[in-house]
Amino acid sequence: MATINATLSVSSSDLSSNTLSLSKTMTMTKAGTNTGLEFSSGLIRRKLTATTEIDLIPTGAQIYGTPTATVNGSKLYIKNTGSSSTDYISVGLGDATQPNELNDDTSKITLGHLYGGEWMIIPYNGATDVGDVLVAPSTAETTTVEWILFFE
Amino acid sequence: MATTTASLTLTSTDLFDDSLSLSNTSTLHKAGTTIGLDQTTGLTKTYVTATQQFDPFPMVKGTTNANENGRVYIANLSEDETEYIIVTIGDLVIGRLYAGDFMWMPWSPKARHVNDIEITPSVATGMWVEFMAIHNFANIYPDSADS
Repeated sequence: MATINATLSVSSSDLSSNTLSLSKTMTMTKAGTNTGLEFSSGLIRRKLTATTEIDLIPTGAQIYGTPTATVNGSKLYIKNTGSSSTDYISVGLGDATQPNELNDDTSKITLGHLYGGEWMIIPYNGATDVGDVLVAPSTAETTTVEWILFFE
Repeated sequence: MATTTASLTLTSTDLFDDSLSLSNTSTLHKAGTTIGLDQTTGLTKTYVTATQQFDPFPMVKGTTNANENGRVYIANLSEDETEYIIVTIGDLVIGRLYAGDFMWMPWSPKARHVNDIEITPSVATGMWVEFMAIHNFANIYPDSADS
């Protein structure tokens, strides 16, 4: 097992009439236990040069291992390393084999957009056929995406 | 406009042979701009006592929020490592948050029920859950249920 810590801080002095100051730390553990996650994809960096949707993180066996699907404590971090405030990547979940586009929100559902410099951390389900993590850049200009999957 | 800053650090000294130390900070902007997000549901802490799915950020019926931007924070405040919440969007499961876990993600909701975020607690014996959205949507209730 390993000890992996994630700390999120969110702050604002003018979002509402009272100051917002949130700080939360989690230690990533396997499902239902206090045992730390021990596997990782490593920090992966990809350059995308088309607006074509890609299956950034397919389900099932991968070169870095086979993440446990559905019942797990796995976590996924994704970052758009760019600096543009107008170009973004759409991030969604679904079945990469389905023909519809990510933004159609049928068998593929968009979570949201990451503009330059933005990042996210979410639990990872990885269920076969529906748990693909899909990404589509808004521009054909080079977009660099980094991600790490911590899994059991 | 408001200035809201979010930062994340990821660290581990024993996941790899070398240490992992990753740090990011971003300012929350409206879609395609450098204008700060200016609305929030507020930070809500609630004690849930049923395993029924609920909607922490319900959208107004018949409206859309296309081309707008938001961030969602959800945390499971339970201290029992066996207790979890399942977080879904539309019909798809994002994943499970066990005791002490949190998530932070972008959210671009469209029509009601298409990509609503839902939370399902694993136990009915009571557990604390915390959530907040920061956004510029025109049509999100601050809190209530629309199931």
